[in-house]
Amino acid sequence: MQLTNEPNFDAPIPGMALTAELGGRPWQSPAQYTTVDEVIEYYMSRMTSEEFMVQLVDIMESGIPVTVLANTIQMSSVMDGIHSVDTGMLVLPVLIEMMMLLGDSAGIKYNSGLDDPNKGMTRDSLLAKVASKYKSKLEDVDIEEVREEMQDEEEPDVQYNGLMARRK
Amino acid sequence: MSRQYNPAVVAYRNMDIENMPVEKETKETGLLARKTSMTGNGTLDYSSPAVRAAMQMQVIRRHRDEINATD
Repeated sequence: MQLTNEPNFDAPIPGMALTAELGGRPWQSPAQYTTVDEVIEYYMSRMTSEEFMVQLVDIMESGIPVTVLANTIQMSSVMDGIHSVDTGMLVLPVLIEMMMLLGDSAGIKYNSGLDDPNKGMTRDSLLAKVASKYKSKLEDVDIEEVREEMQDEEEPDVQYNGLMARRK
Repeated sequence: MSRQYNPAVVAYRNMDIENMPVEKETKETGLLARKTSMTGNGTLDYSSPAVRAAMQMQVIRRHRDEINATD
């Protein structure tokens, strides 16, 4: 992203969200479907249409996680005033399961988004902590003393007593 | 969108449909037969929206398992 010092006027002004009349937005009026059963039925009828299925399979195949897709669909429905946030949250697992069913039946490989991508990976903060500990340990060590110790170790006083031993 | 801010992952993981209590069919009939209460221990409260969503999810999961088993 390019950073400039010039002010950007192409943005909403403070309080702009409150300029519309109360109830003028879809999410401010009562939801179209109020029960979980109704919301599930609404999504099922939408998801079983061929147009939706083809589009969904294409998107899933491109690698977008199913969880992200489900949340986006749910959120856009809340914004359209189709259902409330509460029913949307309750329906989310059903949406994910349905999408995975469509993916499985289409025989595609998809990313469910349920597995943690950082699992088993070492955290950067942990590495930094270990590095700082090591650094502080190094500062405490007397290098000259270590050098002398190493020199002593390098010249072992070994005496070979065998028949084939080299004579001094 | 970051994975950390996605409520879908948590919602899906919290839906423990594999360990849901199973409704037992009672064979007793007649006026004096014992009736199962809706809110009793080990039974499901069908008035709860989460249970209703879980039931729907269970049906879809079964279909998924069937598809994956045949592959």
